[in-house]
Parts: sequence; structure tokens; C-alpha cells
Amino acid sequence: MAGLINAAAVEKPEDYRNIFVYLENRNGELQRPALEMIGVGKRLAEKVHEKLYCVLIGSKVSEMADEAASYGCDVILGAESPDLAEFRTMPYARLVEDFVKREKPNIFLIPATRNGRDLASRIAVSCQAGVTADCTEIDIEEDTRILSANRPTYGESMLAEILCKKHRPQMATARAGIFPVPEKVDGSKCERRIEKVKVDKALLKKEILEFRKKEAIDLTAAKVVVSGGLGLGAPAAFKLVEKLANEMNGVVGASRPTADLGWISRDHQVGQTGQTVRPRLYVACGISGKIQHIMGMKNSENVLSINIDQNAEIFKYSDYVIVDDVNKVLPALTEEIKKYKKAHVKKTVKSSS
Amino acid sequence: MKKVPLDIIVMVKQVPDSQEVVIDPVTMNLNRSLTRNVTNRADENALEVALSLRDKAGGTVTVISMGPPQAETTMYECMARGADRAILVSDRFFGGADTYPTGLTLASTISKIGKFDVVVAGEESSDSSTGHVGPGVAEFLNIDQITYCSHVDYKDRHVIAERELEDGTEVVKTPTPVLVTVLLNSNFPRRQTLRRKIDAMKKGFEVWNLEKLGLPPEWVGVRGSPTIVRRMRSIKEKERAAKKFDLSNLGNLVSELYEKNILKLEED
Ligand SMILES: Cc1cc2nc3c(=O)[nH]c(=O)nc-3n(C[C@H](O)[C@H](O)[C@H](O)COP(=O)(O)OP(=O)(O)OC[C@H]3O[C@@H](n4cnc5c(N)ncnc54)[C@H](O)[C@@H]3O)c2cc1C
Ligand SMILES: Nc1ncnc2c1ncn2[C@@H]1O[C@H](COP(=O)(O)O)[C@@H](O)[C@H]1O
Repeated sequence: MAGLINAAAVEKPEDYRNIFVYLENRNGELQRPALEMIGVGKRLAEKVHEKLYCVLIGSKVSEMADEAASYGCDVILGAESPDLAEFRTMPYARLVEDFVKREKPNIFLIPATRNGRDLASRIAVSCQAGVTADCTEIDIEEDTRILSANRPTYGESMLAEILCKKHRPQMATARAGIFPVPEKVDGSKCERRIEKVKVDKALLKKEILEFRKKEAIDLTAAKVVVSGGLGLGAPAAFKLVEKLANEMNGVVGASRPTADLGWISRDHQVGQTGQTVRPRLYVACGISGKIQHIMGMKNSENVLSINIDQNAEIFKYSDYVIVDDVNKVLPALTEEIKKYKKAHVKKTVKSSS
Repeated sequence: MKKVPLDIIVMVKQVPDSQEVVIDPVTMNLNRSLTRNVTNRADENALEVALSLRDKAGGTVTVISMGPPQAETTMYECMARGADRAILVSDRFFGGADTYPTGLTLASTISKIGKFDVVVAGEESSDSSTGHVGPGVAEFLNIDQITYCSHVDYKDRHVIAERELEDGTEVVKTPTPVLVTVLLNSNFPRRQTLRRKIDAMKKGFEVWNLEKLGLPPEWVGVRGSPTIVRRMRSIKEKERAAKKFDLSNLGNLVSELYEKNILKLEED
């Protein structure tokens, strides 16, 4: 517990060693952002010849530990109790804080998911640490062991490099979908320190009454994403988007306001507050290209945009553009693809016979 | 049952209007003199949550903000929407604060106000966009938190809220005192009324400085911040050709997409 105290610098930063990563899990399953963190942590640990520790809190930690170990970490610190089945800030924050204070890591990485940020922001205060939120590039300086935490700023137009020189641990949360999931390795050498803990009842006052799961739509792995924006004009036009997406073997994405208006479910949203995609082809239909949207799709290999405004901002980020009404272009484009497929599938059948 | 009125505190920040940020090409810093300031939009949603809780339970809504003197427009605006009281925590010592001293300063302000049941913050600010300040304040105050709420209700000394997570909606119930953070666009903020605008101008808002909070100057602002910005780089975007097509030659576009393997007849 912090109380109203300042972030005091530590006297001997050299006493703080090793890399911690927090492994987010939901209902006993490791999440992809957790695996991405292992990848980043491993890279840093190798660079400064230190160990990678994974912190796991939950009700079925042992099973998840096997999986975590198979992605290559040196030590698993686990706290296990039936009371920890679901993420709740208070008990999770206390347990993670205990691990940090006992083990004194130099670096602590947490995925910038909603629960990850919920947790990281409290640990940073209780451990009097410095934290950089939502990093997209993370590195460590070999000689000083200072973390270089880089995050987009000013609406993604700039990248700020942020350092924390005198406080420990050096914390960062990392944006999901940016860092690769590491290759699997032999996890048998990983040391497991899993404790059965008793959780103070005072920390368990938050009741989780209900969880309404939604069919998760993972846009991040899609090869083709076709997204609709306000330029569609009406919710029904998402049908046209869907038809094109189906014809392209892709999935449907959306800009934020279309989700806000309920034209489509939030799970399809691309952008700063939605998903980050990097498909082979991104098709933007009636999307203006505001920076918060661009952040979520600018790493696409190819971008095709359809917009009625010949000066649309999105064109700056596009390889191909069609200046016309989406309601005309979408059916026409879908038809052209059908035609092309028909012609070419026939050809391949002929030549192979 | 006796109605228990709620004392609610809302944390609001004034931010540069995100639609028109102007970056100084030499220093790579925000050119504040060319940028219009507005109330952080998610904080307007936070204020609306507070006002609707007060509609229901009775009580008070106090708005607090740490920022420079020009944040007065935000203070008046919040009062014109219905806040009972507004406190601008302002002092040159607070400048350059990262999330730690910002949380410390706001938590200290809340302690000084004394009585509260619910603290409401926005999900994140559009300029720092960390989402860390709200939970940081909760940690300083040692109270529970409910982040990323799309809906917040109150009953019998408990907040019942819906949290939006990546894979679904979580409905939670937490006894007060508690801090909640509210999602952008999760409600429609009520309008400012002329009547309340006039009242606000008459009543005015309070300005608290460092001395009032009684914090050591080295605990706040840039001196109290664990992190520093070493440098800024502009993000170089890949140059893209924006090759033009129209309804008459969509066939050519489709052929090109397949020939370049951007679209494939069969996924491998
Ligand atoms: C904190 C914050 C976070 C945000 N996060 C996100 C996010 O994650 N994702 C996101 O997308 N946005 C996000 N936004 C919102 C973002 O700023 C923009 O408002 C949004 O991206 C605009 O959506 P749009 O392009 O669909 O709509 P608009 O900006 O209204 O653009 C519509 C476009 O359609 C074109 N058009 C109109 N009619 C036609 C037609 N008949 N045929 C073809 N084109 C037509 C117009 O020329 C225009 O370019 C966020 C904003 C904030 C403040
Ligand atoms: N200087 C500030 N004054 C008042 N509230 C703030 C301040 N900075 C952040 N907040 C609150 O904390 C939330 C999250 O901000 P941030 O952590 O900067 O993304 C905002 O939506 C505000 O509610």
C-alpha cells in the first residue's frame, strides 16, 4: 500500500536484477499478449545476461506454467488460490507487489490489455516505480541496463523514447499485437515456484456478478480486412462490406463511430482503441483516415481505399484508391472478383486435366 | 430505506484538441500556443456518470483538475453542466508531471476535500493516453477500482458497473468508496445551460496551490517524476502510391491484386 508518498529513487539500482513479465490469463488460459511479453522479456534478458521471470496469478497456475515454460522462461513465480480464479484488482495487485518487493527485478513488463493496464498502474504506485504505457518498441541498453521504452504520442505522429533512470523496477506496458509470439522450446529446465496462497478477505470485496462473453473476432491474424466507416451512410451497407470480405476470404473491420452507433459490434473496431491489424490487404470503405484509425492499420502490407472525397486523408496511407461512392463501388468490386475467380479457377482446372 | 446521499469527485483534465495538434518542427514538441484546449472527452462522460449518480442518490459532485490557469474554462464548463463545486489544482511546481506525481497530487487533493464515496475518472486522456492516473489515485487512496466502465449504477452503498474487456462484458459490484473509470462515448453528456453558466460565473471555482496541499515541492511535477522523455522521433510512414482506379477499370485493379499475390485464389 502506497499512502501519500512520493516516488523515491532507489539507492542502488545495481541491486535490481532480472526481467519480470506478467502473464495475463483469463479463466485459466494464457492470453496471446502474455506470450508476446515472454518474447520481449526473453530478448532483453539475453541481451544483459539476466533471467526471465514470469509472474502468474490464478486458480490453476500449474497448468498454465507448463505452457509458459514452453515459450522459454527461466523462473515462474506463481500464486494460486480458488479466490484468484478471476482477475480482481485488489488481490492481484497485492500479490504481484509482494513478488516485486521480494525479488527486486530491474525491469517489469505487462501487456497493455485492459486488465493489464488496470494492474500495472497500481503496481507502479505501490512499488514507487516509473512506468511507460502502451509501448510499441522496447529495448535495453547493455551497459547501463536502462530500459528504452518507446511509445507513440501526439496522435501517433511521433515516437517518444522514455527512460526511468533512478527508480526500480523500470516498468512498461506493451501494446498487444505488435510483438511476435516466440518459438516454442524445451521448457523442462524452467524453475517453478508456485505458492498456494490464502487471500485476505478484505481484498475480496469486489463481486463479479456476471460475465457476458462475446464471440471474439480476431482481426489481428487476418490476411484480408475489409473495413467500413461512416461513409457507408447506413448500417445496412455493412452487408456490402461483408459480401466483399467474403469474396476476398477476409474479415470485416470497422471505424470507431460505426461501432459507437451500433452499426456493427465493437469487436470489429480497428484503431487506437480497437484492434491493431497488419493484413496483406486492408480495404477502407468510407473511412476518412483520422489518426486514431490509421494507428490500427498503417502496418498493413497493402491498402485500398474507397472514398468519395478525392482529398481524403486516408489516400496518403493507400496503395490503391477508388474515388467514388462506396455504395456503387462495393457491389461492382465484389462482382469483378467473382468474375476473375470464375475465369481463373476454370483455367487451372483445364490445365491440370 | 433511508436514502444515503453520495459525495462524488470527478477528475477532469484539459487537453489540446486532438483534431488540431500542431507540432513544432524544430523542437518536435507540441506548439501549445497554436493549439486549442478542450475538456478531455472521456472526462465529460465521467462527469455525466457522476451527475446521474447524484440524480439518483442525491449528494454532491466536485470536479478536480490539475493544470495551468487556462483550465478555468474547463472548470466553468463542468459547473455549467451541473457540478456543485470545482477545484483547479494549479502551481508552477506541478508542471511536467508524469503519471506518478499527477496521481499523488490528485489523491492529495481528494484527501484534503475529505469526504467522498465515489471517484470518477475518464478511461484515458487524449494527450497522455495512459489510463494510469485513475488507478494510480485509487492506489494512493487505498480504495478499490472498476476500470473501463460502460455503465455505472449505485445501490445500498455499492457501485454496480459493467466493464468492457477484450472478450466480453464483466458486471461487478463493489462497496464504496471506490474509483471508477468511464469509457469514451459511453453516454451522452448533458448540455451546459445558460442558467448554470451564470451561476457558475457568480460562484466561481477554487484554486489550490502546492502550499494548500502541503506536499514537498520535490514530490510533485517534473522533480517528482520517475520517467523522463529522452527524445522524440517522427514516425516515418511508408510512402504509398495511391494508384487511382474508378468504376470503369475495376477489372484491372482486381487483376493486379491477384497477379501481385495481394489477393490469392486459395490461401496457403
Ligand atoms: C481517444 C480516441 C480514440 C479513438 N479511437 C478510434 C479507433 O480505435 N478507431 C477509429 O476508427 N476511430 C477512433 N477514434 C475516432 C476517430 O478520431 C475518427 O472520428 C474516426 O476514425 C472517424 O471514422 P470514419 O472515418 O468512419 O468517419 P468520418 O471521419 O466521418 O469519415 C467518413 C468518410 O467517408 C467518406 N464518405 C462519405 N460518404 C461517402 C460515400 N457515399 N462513398 C464513399 N465515401 C464516403 C467521407 O469523405 C469521409 O472521408 C478515436 C477518437 C478518440 C478521441
Ligand atoms: N491533470 C489531471 N487533472 C485531473 N484529472 C486527470 C489529470 N490527468 C489525468 N486525469 C484523469 O485520469 C484519467 C486518465 O488519464 P491518463 O492516465 O492521462 O490517460 C483522465 O481521463 C482524467 O480523468
